[in-house]
Amino acid sequence: MGMDSQTKALIVGRLEQMVGPRAVLHRYEDLVAYECDGYTIHKGVPSIVVFPKSTQEVSDVVRLLHQNRIPYLPRGAGTGLSGGATALNGEVVISLVRMNKLLDVDYANRKAVVQPGFVNLKLSNSIASKGYYYAPDPSSQAACTIGGNVAENAGGAHCLKYGVTTNHVIGLELVLPDGEIVRIGGVPDAPGYDLLGFLTGSEGTMGIVTEITVRILRKPQGVLTVLALYDEVNDASQAVSDIISAGIVPAALEMMDRTAIEAVESGNYPVGYPSDLGAVLIVEVDGIAAGLQEQIERVMEVCRKHRVREVRQSRDPQERTRWWANRKTAFGAMGTISPDYMVQDGVIPRSKLPEVLARIGEVSSKYGLRIANVFHAGDGNLHPLILYNSMEDGEKERAVRAGSEVLKVCADVGGSITGEHGVGIEKMEDMRFIFTEEEMNAQMQVRDVFNPDNLCNPGKVFPKPARCVELKRSAPLIHSS
Amino acid sequence: MSDPSHGNLEKYLYPKSNYKWEDAPDPAKFSECVHCGMCLEACPTYQQTGLEAHSPRGRVYLIKSVAEGKLTLNDFFADPVNTCLDCRACETACPAGVQVGALVEEARGQLYKEDPPAGLRGVLHKIFLRGLFPYASRMRKLSLLTRWYQRSGVRFIARKTGLLRILPKHLQEMEQALPNLTTKPVLGRIHERLAPFGLKRAKVAMLTGCVMDAVFADINEATVNVLRHNGCEVWIPPSQSCCGALHVHAGDRDTAKQLAKQNIDTFLSDDIDAIIINAAGCGSTLKEYGELLKSDPEYADKAHLFAEKTVDVSSFLDRLGLIPPKGRLELTVTYHDACHLAHAQGIRVEPRRLLEAVPGVQLVPLPDSDRCCGSAGIYNLTHPEMAGELLDRKMNDIPDGCDAVVMGNPGCMMQFMVGVVRHNRNEQIMHTIQLLDLAYRGEETSTEAERAEHSKASRSQAS
Repeated sequence: MGMDSQTKALIVGRLEQMVGPRAVLHRYEDLVAYECDGYTIHKGVPSIVVFPKSTQEVSDVVRLLHQNRIPYLPRGAGTGLSGGATALNGEVVISLVRMNKLLDVDYANRKAVVQPGFVNLKLSNSIASKGYYYAPDPSSQAACTIGGNVAENAGGAHCLKYGVTTNHVIGLELVLPDGEIVRIGGVPDAPGYDLLGFLTGSEGTMGIVTEITVRILRKPQGVLTVLALYDEVNDASQAVSDIISAGIVPAALEMMDRTAIEAVESGNYPVGYPSDLGAVLIVEVDGIAAGLQEQIERVMEVCRKHRVREVRQSRDPQERTRWWANRKTAFGAMGTISPDYMVQDGVIPRSKLPEVLARIGEVSSKYGLRIANVFHAGDGNLHPLILYNSMEDGEKERAVRAGSEVLKVCADVGGSITGEHGVGIEKMEDMRFIFTEEEMNAQMQVRDVFNPDNLCNPGKVFPKPARCVELKRSAPLIHSS
Repeated sequence: MSDPSHGNLEKYLYPKSNYKWEDAPDPAKFSECVHCGMCLEACPTYQQTGLEAHSPRGRVYLIKSVAEGKLTLNDFFADPVNTCLDCRACETACPAGVQVGALVEEARGQLYKEDPPAGLRGVLHKIFLRGLFPYASRMRKLSLLTRWYQRSGVRFIARKTGLLRILPKHLQEMEQALPNLTTKPVLGRIHERLAPFGLKRAKVAMLTGCVMDAVFADINEATVNVLRHNGCEVWIPPSQSCCGALHVHAGDRDTAKQLAKQNIDTFLSDDIDAIIINAAGCGSTLKEYGELLKSDPEYADKAHLFAEKTVDVSSFLDRLGLIPPKGRLELTVTYHDACHLAHAQGIRVEPRRLLEAVPGVQLVPLPDSDRCCGSAGIYNLTHPEMAGELLDRKMNDIPDGCDAVVMGNPGCMMQFMVGVVRHNRNEQIMHTIQLLDLAYRGEETSTEAERAEHSKASRSQAS
């Protein structure tokens, strides 16, 4: 695993010359904190962590590693939920957090240029005073980087109306896996193949993004938000379906079930939801102020048709902010009710929501593990959070199996295994639920065009041909320390 | 020697743990962290370095790694644990409310026992934490000595001859920034029990603090004055001691516990409505006595009672209902959120409401007002580089046209005063209470003036 100590010393020396000694970590104690990202089931201590400050430095570092046939991977804030930034086999981690500048904002042409380590929410904050914002809003937006968003094609609550990261990226600068610097796109709808679409969501397997040009949007004139509290999760699901089929396009349509509510209410940002609630919906509409109230009233009307316990509109922006803070901290708040969790990222046709929820309930009882459900309900993106305790014998393994089974359910009803978190390490084997061996090979061939030696984030996204689902099931045992 | 049988739970869950002493980092606290990373950008040291180990999530992870036996209590572990400002900004950001501050303090307790501070930190520790702060009388002497230094001409000579240049740059700046100590410490000087002005609304006790009373005794006087204006009978018990905040931050939990017990015995000896504190750092420590003494069978309950009675002066006045001062102050001010008020105690709106109650005061927002200024107890002495970077950012954030920057913590005030010197600025650095006090004093003079005006008018009418 990794390099021998002699090679490591040599590489560390060269890297220190390139980027300075304060930008290279190589002692075990300094590396431990990097052994996982937001996904904690599989871990791996990197052999080196290096912090380049410019595109040229990234290129120099990559070239050195490529010449020496040393595998490496890029890392942003490390908030990813599928293990994409975990150095499973002691890869060198190229951390982009010190490339964190907003390089340019072009209001006239509605675009901004950022370095990969620039934090998502900072972009919206930086342009808010001029009435603009950056639409993709993953729940971790206060910490996650736009480079990471590009790697994972991140989504967020408001992607229902505005689309995910790929719909907002208009140009990339990329260091290819051999160190060459290339620029792609830059204008909307560039001729030729859609390479941007291809690179966005490639999970760091095609190279390292060093500069991103994104679309920025005018802030909507008005925003209205309602909460709908339900006794039964099925009624809430039905309301979701009906809101969409009524022709309303909410900016966001979110749902949490009882266990999720229990966690957020014990967390740092409680809203005060009753503890016996079956589910809560947050529905938001935005756009031109005229007609907005009418839209939200139609939403409330639909909610009422499905035995809603209470439906109410936010009184002021502060209340709306509190509702969102509560929802957006749902994953982290699981810590208050469980020492560990594993979040799934299934996508299903909206109409199948009640059926899938029932089957997730069955999985939960089968494995004896609690599952909290947080959904971007509007676009059918489920986040079942499987709660477990890694200190209990066998629980982690049961959680992994339960997670896989949940994804199987999603795939079986015509959905997918990931909506916005990426495949990473977590869902490699589950790719088989969606693709045949042949289809995966075809995709790997495309990857090989960019990354022929497979040095750039190896061992991610696609299952190893020799492995099968059964082997994955014992994987946590192999890798647990 | 401490009894290693404490922290049984930790040993039971983590048989390979490398924590050897009592009060080991509590598994119930670190297991709440699910590694989501929402705290990262809230952390000033992470913002400066981008190092995972210098982030709250990273620190918690390393603290857990020692329990798991992956790391030991060595320098590589001490570095991330000691660079923490203990500002608690992460606790505001954390979805699960993980008590990162308490975990870091517990980890420092282990490091302190494993390897007592040596070198510069050791010297500072011996002089300040063990030799000075615990003794009110020594603090008073130091304060008087400083007054003498400032007034006798010795300072003049020291500055002129360049003698001060033997000090590191940040200490020179601190010497320059130190306010003129015009007021002598109040503890033991002013009357122990003071009656309210007007109708009595509450009976309170006041903890005068060490730095506060030595360097900012005028703020303590102002606090007494403002409390009396608001109908409080004020008791300043002479047998009180330092709160122990700096000791907890440094990992010297034994000394901290002694000090806490002395305060508990002192303040709970009389029936009072509240224990008032005007220093944010002390306040959060006083409120955490329950945590500090949780495994002390004799004091655990009393510590909780003490903590419940403790309240920051700004939140006390806000809750009581401020009797608004009538004196007018034509001042544009901005408010800095001391970490230990905003993050540790959740006090943000109260001081602002008090300031807005003063006629004539214009409160303008300070961007990122709750980012640490770098003072952080004695952090600016032990980590001058990081503290300096944070101070520079803070000074650049102060909006133009402010007459004063107001806050609720003496440590921050000293740091800002250094900032004013370093950046050649003119802003006054004030405590929230000082501003209120000025307004009340203005009221006294304005009523006198009114009275004079009135009697003049009646005289002229009579003539």
